[in-house]
This record gives sequence, C-alpha cells and structure tokens, in this order.
Amino acid sequence: MSEDSLQASFDFFGLSHDASIDEVEKSFRELRNLYSEGSLATYSLLDDADRQEKLAALRKAYDRILQSYSHTPDSEVDPEREAGPFPAKSLIVNIDADLQQMPGLFLQQSRKALGLSLQDVAKRTKVRASILQDIEEQRFDFLPAPVYLRGFLREFARMVNVPDADALIDAFMARDKNDKERKID
Amino acid sequence: MTRPVPVEKPNIKPHVWAIGGGKGGVGKSALTTGIAMTLAGQGQRCVMIDADLGGANLHTFLGMSSPEHTISDLFRDPTKNLQDILLATPFENLGLISGARAMLNVANLKHFQKEKLIRQVFSLEADYIFIDLGAGSSFNVLDFFIAAHNGLMVVTPTPTSIENTYHFLRAAYFRKLRHVIRDLKVEALVDSSLDDKEKSGIRSPRDLVAELRRRDPSAGEEIDRAMMSFSPGLIVNQVQRHQDRNLGKEMALACKDFLGIDVTMAGSVRTDEQVLMALNSRRPTLSMFPQSNFAKDVRQIVQKLEW
Repeated sequence: MSEDSLQASFDFFGLSHDASIDEVEKSFRELRNLYSEGSLATYSLLDDADRQEKLAALRKAYDRILQSYSHTPDSEVDPEREAGPFPAKSLIVNIDADLQQMPGLFLQQSRKALGLSLQDVAKRTKVRASILQDIEEQRFDFLPAPVYLRGFLREFARMVNVPDADALIDAFMARDKNDKERKID
Repeated sequence: MTRPVPVEKPNIKPHVWAIGGGKGGVGKSALTTGIAMTLAGQGQRCVMIDADLGGANLHTFLGMSSPEHTISDLFRDPTKNLQDILLATPFENLGLISGARAMLNVANLKHFQKEKLIRQVFSLEADYIFIDLGAGSSFNVLDFFIAAHNGLMVVTPTPTSIENTYHFLRAAYFRKLRHVIRDLKVEALVDSSLDDKEKSGIRSPRDLVAELRRRDPSAGEEIDRAMMSFSPGLIVNQVQRHQDRNLGKEMALACKDFLGIDVTMAGSVRTDEQVLMALNSRRPTLSMFPQSNFAKDVRQIVQKLEW
C-alpha cells in the first residue's frame, strides 16, 4: 500500500503522520462513538447509510495506520514469552468481580492484577487494544461478530490467567446475546 | 477572581452578537442575559435586544416590570428609531430593547421593516449588542442571525434540541448562501447545480459549494470566501451527565465533517436549579447567585469567546 493512503488515513483522524498509537486509538474511539447509531451528537444529521459509510472508512483508515505500526520492528520481544500467558505477579489488585455477572470487569481486574496495560495484552493476543477495552467495558454495540468475539475472549482470558476460561466466555456471550436481542425488541 | 481584560476592537462598534438555535426553552434568554451582564460588569456598554417578537420576556430575566417602550412602538410611529426605545436596566452599562407586547402580526415583519431594524441595530451607541432570537428557523430569525457579526447557537443534550440546531444551522447557512449568490449575481449557476442535484450527489451545503467550484472555479472561490465568515459558536446548556460534556466538541466535528461548516465550541453550562430559583424571584442568576455553577460557566464562556 502506498504512503499516500497512509497520509490520507492520518488526515482522516485529523492527526499528523507522527502521531502516537495512543493518539490514533483515542481518535478512533471518539470518531467511532460519533458515528455510531446511539450517538447524540449526530442525531438527525446522519442516516444509516451515512453511518455505515463513515464507519467503514474509519475502520479502513485505522487498519491502514495499524498496519504501518506493525511494520516497525518491536523492540526486543522475548520469543518465549511471546506465545504464553504472562507470569503471575504479586496480586495488588483484588479480583472480586463476579465472573458470571461482570465477565468484562473480571478480565480487567485479572489484567490489572498482572500489572499489564491494554497495549501489553494487545501485543500478545494480536487483538486490538480498543477491542480489548470494549470487552472489558462490555460495550456490546461495538464488539465484533460472535464468531470472532469468542476467539478474542479466549486469547484475552488465557493471557491474563483466567482459571476457567470457558465459563467466562459463556457468561460473556450470553450477555452479548441478551443485549442485542433487547435492542431488537 | 481574575477578570479577563476585554480585547478592544475599535474598528467594529458596536459588535453585534445574535443568539439562536432553533428550539425554545433551551436557555437562550438566560444565557444572553448572563453573557451581557458579565460584559457589562467589566465596564463594556451592552445592549440586549429581545427579538423574540411575540414571546419576548428578557425584561423578566432582568427583574423589570412590563416595559414602557418596545419594538412595536417603531411600527406604530415610523419617526421613532431603536435608540428612542432603549430602556435603562437596574444594571450599570446594560440597556434593553424590549420586544414585549408586540402586536400579534409583528412576528411577521415586513421586509422593509426588518431591513430598517437591522440597519438601526448597527448604529446603536454601545460596545456590544446581543440579539436574543426567538425559536424556530423562520426567515426573520435567520436574517438577524446572519446579519450579526457573530452568531451563537444554544443546544441542550436532547435529541429534539440537537435536531433543531442542525436544522437551524443548515437553514442559516443556505440563507446566507442565497444572499452571497444574489450579491455575486450567480443565481443561474446555483439553479443549474441544484437541478442536477441527484446526478452530482449534492446532499449538504459543502457538496453544493464544491459543485459550484467545479462548474465555475472563480465564482465558486468567491462564494467559498464569503461563506468562510459563517462560523457560529455553539453553547451546550443544561449539561448534566458526564458524557454530555463532549457534546459540543462532537457536534462541531460532525458539522465540519458533514456540512462543511466551521462551528466553534464556545463552552458548556451545567444544569443549575439556581437559575430557576432566580427566575422565580425575578432576578438575574448572575446577581442573585454569582457563585453558582451557571454564573461560573457563563463567565468562562465570556472569557473564552473572542470579543
């Protein structure tokens, strides 16, 4: 892909080409909120087709930029740690969230207990930090299709040493389904 | 409390602001009063004009009883002008031109009456004029809005208010565009562009200006330049929820993105029950509760706006 499309992608976010990944993430999240169906700020301004078009363009620009970042070699990734879960650190954060009721929060607490940032987990799981955050916050509107979501949850759970990953995935998927059915009603 | 030093703009006097935004009851009059009182308190000579003909009540916000002279006097007696009906208020440096007790048909100003009124606004003896507009997007409202040096739109975090604000913004933009087009004598160009609307995919003001540029680059450029000055400010009023603090910024982004209109975020004002308490006592919030959230937020807006 050309440098032009990369520049255009940064322009899309209103950022300069040397913007950090955090800035891109932040802008991505803001714009995605703005163009999403529930957005108050664009109420009556956009119709469904406008939103879809805008969200698709947003995703494309975002992917283009992420791709450019992944080409920059990561500094010193330990190949042994690359594949496996993170070693347990001393538990500073209590994991007290109910796995059934709040699976997203449970993942977040598990992650924090290991002293990991979203970016740390994103690097290992190859799942975007913004998606991981949506999972933690249980923002079902923004989450990918169940077929992908299941895999992301498994990776996430594995990385942060969730003891019973299957139970967590089932609990999460059930909530996702409920949320979407409620929207349709 | 630190007071901002007002920037003098001696070349434009009076500086005219219009406050609109489509929906009624979003706080246009309360904010107009608050902003004007803040500047008057800093020694600037301010005049508020109640242009909500048919529903005027700025005098009540200032704690004044039913005014003696109002805009309707002008229509009864053509020899009178705005300066003649300027009322003193209980506050130093602050004058009021009331639109109260206007005859029912005054809301439908005749064209020449409107032109005359607008001309007189710009010749008033003052540093700042604030025109408090009525609800809706009628031509009378829009013409005051686009005639002013600066426009401010007031929106609340509700779908109805947001919808009306976008409607108002589009309507004001097209109204101004119509004036620019008339002045440049390129009506035919615009008509032909709009005739092929479907083909050329014109859906927003920005699309239209882009199409005009494509058809006639030099005229398009002039239109573009003239329309650049259309850049209203936006105040989000009655902010309650944390997530609504970003509403103004988001709306400004959406306006730029979809309408091609630069809207400036002027600030947010929190919901404050003291506004209602003050109104019920028929006193301005800023004088009754100078330390209220409303007063603080209004002062911040005044400080931030370029005067």
